[in-house]
Amino acid sequence: MSCAQAAVREPAADPLLTLRARPRRIALVGNANVGKSVLFGRLTGQYAVVSNYPGTTVALTTGRVVLGGEVCELVDTPGVTALEGALTEDELVARRILNAGQTDVVIQVSDARNLRRALMLTSQLAAIGRPMVLVLNMIDEARVHGIVIDAAGLAARLGIPVVETVATEGRGIAGLRDAIGRAAVPAFDAPHRGDHAHLAHDLAVQYRCYRRRSAARIQERLGRLVREPLTGLPILAIVLYGMYLAVGVFGAQTLVGLIEGGLFEQFINPGAIALVNRAVPWAVARDFLVGEYGLITMGLTYAIAIVLPVVATFFLVFGFLEDSGYIPRLAIFSDRIFRTMGLNGKAVLPMVLGLGCDTMATMTTRILGTPKERLIAVLLLALGIPCSAQLATILGILGGVSFFALVTLFGVVMLQMFLVGFLAARTIPGERSEFIMELPPLRLPQLGNIVRKTLLRVRWYLGEAVPLFLFGTALLFTLSRLGLLTVLTEAMEPVVAGLLGLPKDAATVFVMGFLRRDYGAAGLFQMSKAGELDGVQAVVALTVMTLFVPCVANFLMMVKEQGLKAAMGILGAVTVIALGTGVVLNAILRGLHVTF
Amino acid sequence: MSPSEKTRRLSAMRPGASGRVLRVMRENPDRADRLMALGVTPGATVTVLQRFPGVVFLCDHTELAVEPAVARAIVVELE
Repeated sequence: MSCAQAAVREPAADPLLTLRARPRRIALVGNANVGKSVLFGRLTGQYAVVSNYPGTTVALTTGRVVLGGEVCELVDTPGVTALEGALTEDELVARRILNAGQTDVVIQVSDARNLRRALMLTSQLAAIGRPMVLVLNMIDEARVHGIVIDAAGLAARLGIPVVETVATEGRGIAGLRDAIGRAAVPAFDAPHRGDHAHLAHDLAVQYRCYRRRSAARIQERLGRLVREPLTGLPILAIVLYGMYLAVGVFGAQTLVGLIEGGLFEQFINPGAIALVNRAVPWAVARDFLVGEYGLITMGLTYAIAIVLPVVATFFLVFGFLEDSGYIPRLAIFSDRIFRTMGLNGKAVLPMVLGLGCDTMATMTTRILGTPKERLIAVLLLALGIPCSAQLATILGILGGVSFFALVTLFGVVMLQMFLVGFLAARTIPGERSEFIMELPPLRLPQLGNIVRKTLLRVRWYLGEAVPLFLFGTALLFTLSRLGLLTVLTEAMEPVVAGLLGLPKDAATVFVMGFLRRDYGAAGLFQMSKAGELDGVQAVVALTVMTLFVPCVANFLMMVKEQGLKAAMGILGAVTVIALGTGVVLNAILRGLHVTF
Repeated sequence: MSPSEKTRRLSAMRPGASGRVLRVMRENPDRADRLMALGVTPGATVTVLQRFPGVVFLCDHTELAVEPAVARAIVVELE
């Protein structure tokens, strides 16, 4: 230990007498997928979305934590593999918070099974010179693997508190709270010429030993089954079919049938109509609430009765898959395909996340290595990935037509994504990064986390989508009152009726689709239920809708991530591709006399 | 055994084979840095799990999936 470094150590803060210009700020830093967000939740009592794959947290989350009578600010940061050298965008986010001199204490969270990697980061953090604590999280899993770490020895050597925790079960949290007060500037000699790897290796060898491993065999066997193509691809097919059963059949048909067909059509809407007719004397206001484009009869019905049941079922199933660690393994299969599209296997994460919500997934593109990859991923998300809400309406409509119709739709959309990706890879300047990805361990998901995550996401959907549904309905109502809807429908007729072969009223649905694809698709759902669409029309209309930019929120996120110019470019390209594909698809299906 | 028989590129190792990382080729420094940050450093124990459709290997207790070009840059001394 060098004396010079020891002298800089901060004395433990006196909790009762401190007055500060701003609250003490504590940052949670560490490798990806080590449990920073779980610890954040444990310390602050706030829930941050937790999953079993790297990249769940891509922005900073801030919360409050009371430590020794003082209110401190706790910051949850995105996972990092390194703080020096070539960094991804989310690593820069983490790096900035440390460098700005705004952080008083650093809690480095690590996966106890990967001590060597953790220490490499410790060595880099030490160079920044803030008081810190090292957390060895998931100590239970490490023990299962036969790993024993001499935490006290390590603490003495590093000159910082070292705490063992099992964050998901809340074990060791009291010890951590206590250790934060004792946080100290690391006091070991900086590695020669910044060779963090060498130092970490030596430390790991010295303070870690292996006992006989107790279990983890099932985990290994399961890992092999999902990873190898011979068993992995059938498993993928089963998973997809299971999702179809849960979301497409149970959610989109059973639940929607109960809520829309039962609750809304039998009770809520007739009740609302009766009430409004009696209580509201003005015809315009009555129409506004319960008419053809009524806030209750259209806006609320679409949002709550048609889309919500499917979104909720989807998030439930999706949460399970997220926490199991299965999704990142799909990167192994998809790497080759993504490489021809200027991306690499890692892109499977934002793409699959897009099935939940394209807006969130657009933000997740930050985990990708280069600007070119991020741009292509944002473009493909906007173009081809239907979000849960839209998936809902697709399955609801085409589930009633035929399985072949569903295959046609997804086939066309995937082909388009591939073609666009292929061309984008060759026209957008820049490089792709190489595929190097860490696979999180397979775990049995905790029901509690899945339920919390689902509730959070449903609440978020309600806050995000319902106002837009209502706004869209109000807009349609206004347009229809002013007679502009007829004008618009007439104007779009050559395209909608002529080229796409749809009923001309479908123009209304496309206006809705510009606000939110799922809102437009919900309109199609009503048209199809009323028997206004035949099979080919349903497939063509839904294909065009799926290829549209998802929603206003997604567009705003594109602007935020890629800038206005790129976002406008994507919007324009996607709209042209969507309509063009619809026209060609219609011509082919009609030409071949397909009926579904 | 001569050194050439004992050292292999990770890409040329059979599934199930293991060894210690001897060095990571630095013809692409970014790649070498990223591998290093993930724990693929000289002395680390690696076990190849799978080669197709992508190379998957275990490095200490981290399971890593990489494309073939990356696996070619890792030189391993077989056990």
